[in-house]
Amino acid sequence: MSAAILRAMLLGLLRDRGALLMAFVLPVIFFVIMAEIFTATSGANLDLTVVVLDEIKSGVSTRLVAALEKDDSITLGAAGDTDGEALRALVRSGSADIGLILRNDAEPLDEAGGFGPAPLLVVSDPSRGFVEPVLMGRLRRAYFSALPDVAMGNVVAELENQFLTLTDEQRDELAGGLSEMRADAEAGREVGWSFEDLIAYERVAGGETVNLVAYSAGAVAFLFLLFAAVHGAVSLLEESESGVLERILAGPGGIGVLVDGKFLYVVVQGFVQVSVIFVIAWLFYSVDVPARFFPWLIVTAAASLSAAGLAMLLVAACRTRRQAQTVANTVILIISAIGGSMVPRIFMPDLLKNLGWLTPNTWALEAYSGILWRGEGLGGVILPVALLLASGLIGWYVARLLAERRVSRY
Amino acid sequence: MVYKHNLTPLPHIVTEFDKKDALLSLARIRKTLGGQVVLDGVDAFVGAGEIVVLLGPNGAGKTTLLSTACGRIAPDSGSVTVCGGDPRLRPEIRRHLGFVPQGLALYPYLSVKENLQTFGRMMGVTKHDLSWRIEQALERGALAEHADRRVETLSGGMRRRLNIVASLLHDPKLLLLDEPTVGVDVNARKRIHELLRQLRAKGIGILITTHDLEQAASLADRVVFLVAGRVRLQGAPRELIQSNYGRGRELIVILGQQADIEQSRALTERGLTALHGGLAWIGAVDGSYTDAAGWTQDLDAAGLSVREIRVREPDLEGVFLRVTGEELHL
Repeated sequence: MSAAILRAMLLGLLRDRGALLMAFVLPVIFFVIMAEIFTATSGANLDLTVVVLDEIKSGVSTRLVAALEKDDSITLGAAGDTDGEALRALVRSGSADIGLILRNDAEPLDEAGGFGPAPLLVVSDPSRGFVEPVLMGRLRRAYFSALPDVAMGNVVAELENQFLTLTDEQRDELAGGLSEMRADAEAGREVGWSFEDLIAYERVAGGETVNLVAYSAGAVAFLFLLFAAVHGAVSLLEESESGVLERILAGPGGIGVLVDGKFLYVVVQGFVQVSVIFVIAWLFYSVDVPARFFPWLIVTAAASLSAAGLAMLLVAACRTRRQAQTVANTVILIISAIGGSMVPRIFMPDLLKNLGWLTPNTWALEAYSGILWRGEGLGGVILPVALLLASGLIGWYVARLLAERRVSRY
Repeated sequence: MVYKHNLTPLPHIVTEFDKKDALLSLARIRKTLGGQVVLDGVDAFVGAGEIVVLLGPNGAGKTTLLSTACGRIAPDSGSVTVCGGDPRLRPEIRRHLGFVPQGLALYPYLSVKENLQTFGRMMGVTKHDLSWRIEQALERGALAEHADRRVETLSGGMRRRLNIVASLLHDPKLLLLDEPTVGVDVNARKRIHELLRQLRAKGIGILITTHDLEQAASLADRVVFLVAGRVRLQGAPRELIQSNYGRGRELIVILGQQADIEQSRALTERGLTALHGGLAWIGAVDGSYTDAAGWTQDLDAAGLSVREIRVREPDLEGVFLRVTGEELHL
């Protein structure tokens, strides 16, 4: 009997373009937007718009600006012919992410030390604080790659100041070496000296870019899973209003048949919805779902079950459609914000991270992160998966009890 | 002459029927909802191949009585028996029962056939039987040509017929219908009446709630007047009319202005009862009566301003008024 309800609901979904759009297209669009944001903001790929004002206009300053210009992740904007104020206005208005002034009235750019003002002035907006360290990294790279002779010359000058005195012969040799260095840099050859040479990188389990995309797939999937689940479950109240419920109640099956049928439908719909998002994540964002297919299958089934249970519970506790929509939207938005569906949990303070463990969103995200990010097997995510399964089954059972109690009160 | 109106309720007239064979038997049903007595000692029954029409104004308790008969509502006291058992305590009994809700309890986005498939399965019809039961239902509802049309594209009458046949798929012995012809035109109503008569001919017991006196008179083997949770009158429409009017007819006097106390007394003495706040008065006259002019003179002599005098075949509303002394506000 419940299968008849499931079939009717599925046919209804297939014939309702609006519902199809809400269930399968909107979540994908939302996911793609999130994935694009996370792909762009995760580390090395952050594109910056930097506005530069070169007051020095020397050979050295021109070389530094040219090196910055060569950086693919930096878009240089000119501050115009005016002074630093124009540059500051551009940063303040958000037209540029950050500003850089190569100052004339400061210590020389090619001489380290000194007690006057620094030759490079970074102008930034505190609300975009993360931009500053990113620019510093790019600036350091440009400085060492484009001006290796200046960097080395400054080191030698400092050594001579503090520790040793060079002979004229050594100075000549040094000047020749620095000229070669400069020539190599200008020709785009490796100069064989860089701070970057001291660092090696190792990425585990896919790399940061993929991690955040995988996270957003889980986050978006569960958020929309909850909305779609409520949308499906609300039909329980619609049928109460239309009289379908009365017809069914007069039969031998009772309300249990209807609740079971709806629950089954919401689980199936949720499973398909999450699958669509992860297929997109796999095809276009390198989230390796096939490699973790079995654990993914279990986690997705558990997540769909949990969302369905919660939705049925919320709807069964309400008397009218409007009440159910209001209550459900409020609950979903709050648990999704706390649970990490809107902002990644890694950015949350400890209090919110801990509170998140009270929400199914966190259970789903921990489970997906475990299998797709940290490379764990099902054993490693047994707690969140168990919580998802238990919450789904309890939600369904309590919804059944509430519905039975409601109809027996007549 | 005018028959003297008897304000004392007449004994209920019930067709002779062996209640032991009733498909539905409601005995001394009492139900209180939210502190208000909704059903107050209701006795009613429906036999096989019988159409019983439950008449009453809004709030009379008709829908509550239907829900009680389905086993959805537990009465505070009294007993409900459907085909020999209590449908509330024995859910399998409900297989003998079909319920047609007042609303269109259908899935508008599904076709006629898909709706029948869905409700058939929900009522426990086996896959094996489902296809011929659907064909039977389509035929009964004259919907075979529209089997593949979505319900949202059907006319109001077709939807109403589908609403009824969707409750017949499991071959119930007893059919309960809550206002089955609400919002349909005359032709559609006729087709629904035809369908219900066909079902009666097949031996199905039918209980219908309605506000529609005409429908009750044309369809019912028996009418049950339910007012404020109590059965005020029941019996076969023709017998009720016959016993109250004999071969007489109903007389209606419409006044130009409200009768004062003296005039009201004069009208009452002539066997008339006030309707609609005293502007209309109703009574019974001899079947052979033709002298309206005499009546006009008589009432003029009493100082009454008469706008209209009508003589018509008596109906159930008049019976109810004559028997209970109360107007039936349907």
